Amino acid sequence: MTITYDDKTPRHFMIASIVWGLVGMLVGVIAASQLSWWQANGKFLESITFGLVNTDGLSFLTYGRLRPLHTNAVIFAFVGNMMFAGVYYSTQRLCKARTASDLLSKIHFWGWQAIILGAAITLPLGLTQSKEYAELIWPLDIAVTLVWVVFAINFFWTLAKRNEPSLYVALWFYIATIITVAMLYIVNNLQIPTSLTHSYPIFGGLQDALVQWWYGHNAVAFFLTTPILGIMYYFVPKAANRPVYSYRLSIIHFWALVFIYIWAGPHHLLNTALPQWLQTLGMLFSLMLWAPSWGGMLNGLLTLRGGWAQLRTDPVIKFFAAGVTFYGMSTFEGPLLSIRAVNELSHYTDWTIGHVHSGALGWNGLMAAGMFYWLAPRLWKTELWSKSLANLHFWTALVGILLYVAAMWTAGVTQGLMLGQLNEQGTGLKYEFVDTLLAIRWPYYFRTFGGTLYLIGFAFCAFNIWKTARTGTAVNGTAEITPLEKEKKDFMGLKPIFTHKSTQHVFCVILFAILWHFAPSGGDWAAFAMVIVFAVLAVRAFRKNVKGWADFHDKLLENYIPLTVLAFIAVAIGGAVQILPTLMVDRAKNIEGRLQERYTPLELAGRDLYIAEGCYNCHSQMIRTLVPDIMRYGRVGVADDYSHLGESIYDFPFQWGSKRTGPDLAREGGPLVEGNKHVRLGKRDNLWHFNHFLNPRQLSPGSNMPAYPWLFENETDFKALPGKIAAQTRLGVPYPTMTRDEIEQNAREQALAIAETLKDSAFLPSREDLSGDELRNYLANRQVIAMIAYMQKLGTYTDSGLKKEKPDTFDPDQQRQARETPAPVETARR
Amino acid sequence: MNPENEPQEEPRRAAFATKKGEIVIRPHEYDGIQEYDQKLPNWWLLTFFGAILFYLAYWLVYYQAGWIKTDTEKVTAAITDIQNQKKKALEETLATLDDQTLVQEWANNPEIVASGQQIYSTVCIGCHGPDLDAPLKLGLSLVDGEWKYGNRPMDIFKLINEGSPADSTGMAPTGAKMVPWGATYSPKQIAEMVAFIISKNPDDFKEFQN
Repeated sequence: MTITYDDKTPRHFMIASIVWGLVGMLVGVIAASQLSWWQANGKFLESITFGLVNTDGLSFLTYGRLRPLHTNAVIFAFVGNMMFAGVYYSTQRLCKARTASDLLSKIHFWGWQAIILGAAITLPLGLTQSKEYAELIWPLDIAVTLVWVVFAINFFWTLAKRNEPSLYVALWFYIATIITVAMLYIVNNLQIPTSLTHSYPIFGGLQDALVQWWYGHNAVAFFLTTPILGIMYYFVPKAANRPVYSYRLSIIHFWALVFIYIWAGPHHLLNTALPQWLQTLGMLFSLMLWAPSWGGMLNGLLTLRGGWAQLRTDPVIKFFAAGVTFYGMSTFEGPLLSIRAVNELSHYTDWTIGHVHSGALGWNGLMAAGMFYWLAPRLWKTELWSKSLANLHFWTALVGILLYVAAMWTAGVTQGLMLGQLNEQGTGLKYEFVDTLLAIRWPYYFRTFGGTLYLIGFAFCAFNIWKTARTGTAVNGTAEITPLEKEKKDFMGLKPIFTHKSTQHVFCVILFAILWHFAPSGGDWAAFAMVIVFAVLAVRAFRKNVKGWADFHDKLLENYIPLTVLAFIAVAIGGAVQILPTLMVDRAKNIEGRLQERYTPLELAGRDLYIAEGCYNCHSQMIRTLVPDIMRYGRVGVADDYSHLGESIYDFPFQWGSKRTGPDLAREGGPLVEGNKHVRLGKRDNLWHFNHFLNPRQLSPGSNMPAYPWLFENETDFKALPGKIAAQTRLGVPYPTMTRDEIEQNAREQALAIAETLKDSAFLPSREDLSGDELRNYLANRQVIAMIAYMQKLGTYTDSGLKKEKPDTFDPDQQRQARETPAPVETARR
Repeated sequence: MNPENEPQEEPRRAAFATKKGEIVIRPHEYDGIQEYDQKLPNWWLLTFFGAILFYLAYWLVYYQAGWIKTDTEKVTAAITDIQNQKKKALEETLATLDDQTLVQEWANNPEIVASGQQIYSTVCIGCHGPDLDAPLKLGLSLVDGEWKYGNRPMDIFKLINEGSPADSTGMAPTGAKMVPWGATYSPKQIAEMVAFIISKNPDDFKEFQN
């Protein structure tokens, strides 16, 4: 029987990937240049239009709004579409069946493109949730979820209709991708809408940080890694025309990878207020992840072994070999950066940025190009238009990546070292933050240059593919197949995955390993002993019956539902063990003695502006438990002035940040000015902030922060505040009962009071005509005042006398403290 | 290429491949893709099992046993050390400093003044302005001949080091005060800043010239 594959869908996805790839990378180059040349935030338009456009900055062009656009475009539009092209192409062939539903494929394709378009519009408008790679607003989140479900149905339906009894390793990775992304995306986007474009996440502070990085880390794992590994497993042996290196390595590294990856999220929060046990888990699991990751690299590279001659002649192999090598490099760097001591230096610096780009440009970008060059001649039944142009693309891209990554290493290490450097008398820090920025100017230029090279290389690719498509004609592949009898596939139920010796042994080891971490004093040692006992038993059982265990896995591969369920269990365990205890611990008391002061309505409005402008892209609000952090950002004379858990308990969403292109802001705020119930005085005066938003360089020479002229024109949305306060109340922030009018009134009063402090000394160039009370009344309605209100509130808290009677069962840190200090237990401390 | 698939009584599997040097190819083929079943490299196994053992050991030593100080204990002690060091350095510097030395030696040394200027134009400039006249009114002018908190060089040293005095009303209308720059800068650097300020106001400090 002859069947025709649906190759239109992969064709479409591939074209979409190339187009969005160009856009995403271009935005990346713009964002990169903004960091070394602040005028790129809009000011440059003045010179290129000879003064026709007169501005210090344009809202939709600023770094804080473009950076999320760049990351989302590259992850979801470029790699997303590339992944779908590869999945649709290879799944049909591995199943010997046409994709189950053309309609669903169509909905998937157009739905996904519509979402991307939605993102490209909303993100520059400042509509964002601020959680990294989950910035899209809630209506788009729902759309993503629905389209993902369509994809899942289409995929699993195709599996069900397959004419191949057993599932090839590429499909295991696709399965893991689909179920895990669904789980991560839904949980991390649980939120309460306050309007069509705004919402608050249901998690706040510590919980939000944990959930977000569980998601953020595994977006890298299950969106940028596992599907591409699947693609590697199909396209590399195809292109090299050689067998895959090792089947059993596939098995071991697949299960180890999906199980371990999910636990590594907390390595994004090392040395922060995150409880110690979670930090320790994050680091240790990251180290354990090294070998499984390299298992994938080995299976890719060693498949090419013996075929290296093709490297010289076939650009596809060149791209794949380099892509897999970069995968190996970045998955070695990842565990390295997860070591707490290394992380002290690297975190919040450009080293991390270099790391993700060696993954994104090296692994994702090169694998994508290799796949495109292999697919295009087959999808359009012709030869690749130009091999030499593909080669040129390869070398341009490679030089681009190397420049980029080397520049980011230099910048990251330089800045990390400078920030921690003590002055010659050992009494304080040697450098101001801005000194470190000036020191890494040159690496920043090189980074922009490297990124530009990469973009140019990708443009060669786009042109080459376009020419190839033009010279050929779109065709759909066909295959001769023998329909598979029903009983040869999917004959096993779910029960065997719980009753077979192999899984039972593994479950036992895992169960006691978990108990080991949570059991109170004494029980932990017992559980540890049980882990060892069950591990030994498992090894012995395996040794005795290798064939039985191997047969069981083979059978699993002929039954897609049990395989999927087992994969889901493997990925669900890590998240459950890390997140659920944090949700069960009594949140109100888990504050380490410091309770955050509630935001007033105006301060909340300012906070939402802070998020909308993407300030978190450059500013953290987290003083780590490290000497340089406390000295630079803590208050004078307070030795334990690192950020405590309770200081961000009312932060929906959390704002601990992931990169410091500017200084930390955790202690920016301060107490109320004496005799004033609305005006606060933090590290800096209102007037300082006013001038700083207008022209950062006037107050901080050398700063690369954009100017924010529109904050002085746009009005604060006072009307939205009652709805927002209502949502915050539902989330558990103890606001007193206030009517809608009272909320609005309170905000307006505070705005007026802050504007009052500025009216005599502030000068607003765009409204030179205003002064005194007129200026006050004008400013009181503007966003800048709300923003200043937030700045002055940042990091304020009251000392809390709350004590815990006994340790929480689900908090290892408290158990540990109870062990060490048997007397009354203080509020949780690590 | 298409390696031959010899028919076998029993499909050769993992157990078989462990025999050294034997490369087994799996009987199954997926869309033309075949799979070897090679033994896992020893160094890879070592890495994998090594990381697992490291996990067990690290958790026991660093977490469970409680032998190692926690982060917060460590960092609080380190910060306290630095504060003591600072106290010591301040005493040592103060022992060598007085109004006359600052005016006659420090303010007349171009290198010292240049270092002071360097710091001034990084941090002080924001509030006191490029010409020291505080055009934005974020701080006091440093060239108007008025020295609100004392006109002796050592008063200025103390002011920069400790910030605006506790009883000062600060700048109207919010009462903003200068932060204690001693938190960031060493006593030596603060003396350099003082030298720079003196050099910009030679007439105000004439009396300390001899």
